[in-house]
Amino acid sequence: MAKSSTSMEKLKGFLSSQISDEEKWALNSKLLRAAGLFAASIVLMRNFGDLMAI
Amino acid sequence: MGSSVSHAAAPPPPLPSPSPPPSSVGLAAALPPKQDEKAEPEKVDWLNLPCPIPFEEIQREALMSLKPELFEGLRFDFTKGLNQRFSLSHSVFMGSMEVPSQSSDTLKVPTAHYEFGANFLDPKLMLVGRVLTDGRLNARVKCDLTDNLTMKINAQLTNEPHFSQGMFNFDYKGTDFRSQLQIGNNAFYGGNYIQSISPHLSLGTEIFWLGHQRKSGIGFAARYNTDNMVATGQVASTGIVALSYVQKVSEKVSLASDFMYNHLTQDVTSSFGYDYILRQCRLRGKIDSNGVFAAFLEERLNMGVNFILSAEVDHRKKDYKFGFGMTVGE
Repeated sequence: MAKSSTSMEKLKGFLSSQISDEEKWALNSKLLRAAGLFAASIVLMRNFGDLMAI
Repeated sequence: MGSSVSHAAAPPPPLPSPSPPPSSVGLAAALPPKQDEKAEPEKVDWLNLPCPIPFEEIQREALMSLKPELFEGLRFDFTKGLNQRFSLSHSVFMGSMEVPSQSSDTLKVPTAHYEFGANFLDPKLMLVGRVLTDGRLNARVKCDLTDNLTMKINAQLTNEPHFSQGMFNFDYKGTDFRSQLQIGNNAFYGGNYIQSISPHLSLGTEIFWLGHQRKSGIGFAARYNTDNMVATGQVASTGIVALSYVQKVSEKVSLASDFMYNHLTQDVTSSFGYDYILRQCRLRGKIDSNGVFAAFLEERLNMGVNFILSAEVDHRKKDYKFGFGMTVGE
């Protein structure tokens, strides 16, 4: 068994630490919500923006 | 293998190719050959790039659409022009102002004030002064020293000690760049520089030094714009990342979106809004990633008379702000 952790395990460890910790998850959920709104609004504007034109 | 061609239908005899119309040979030779405009893109003159937007206005389209002056209460503004260059203004505000508080509850303080202002507007010199009943004075000076060099002075003076601020700005406009030097009280020194890289892209950087607190910072900004859209990004060493995107859907309608992340306060906000500029009114609305809805309407009732409605609703914090007002004069 290799003693050094692979990069995949490091990534999984990092993700679980960010999700399970309460404080970090509060910030991460806000970050995901804001980034999702920003990206989705850009996609909507570029593809369906003409629908809002007068 | 059988031939799929039916022998029953004989191929029609080839039609005689029409002879070219007899045009005057001289005209055909004189006119230049017709160019296919779409095939060749416009050639970029790299030595003649346009002058970029000033660094502090890099996000101006997004700010104009997404950050109207929302207020709660009554607002009345009256501007009277005495002559072509000089005008006086009177403003009354009665309502609640938000005070920043440490807890998540919003703290509102009922406020009422009257503001008297005087404006002098000349092509080369602009002087604006405002004085309020709570003892504050705001003054702004903008002076074109030469064609390319502009000096701006901002000052806010208050009764409370150590709360007054003043700032000198010197702006230099080059052919395809702009630079600015800032000197403020509390030993504040700053500068920024923005350069056009291509007809659509400009990159800028800023640096500042706060003498009294021994703090310094550096930031970078980029702006990409075409006829229909503007995309900007700003990063600062103070831990701020700000992105914005504005799409001009038509002459009257713009859609805008922005994203702001502050590493120090661990705060992240994104908003998406619309801006309808019509003949009789201007309507702006937006929704936030914190669940805040806001709208701002300016309706032109008559020549120089505008009716204003402002609304901001935060269901989560149970904070409802509604305001109405009127603006008379330009």
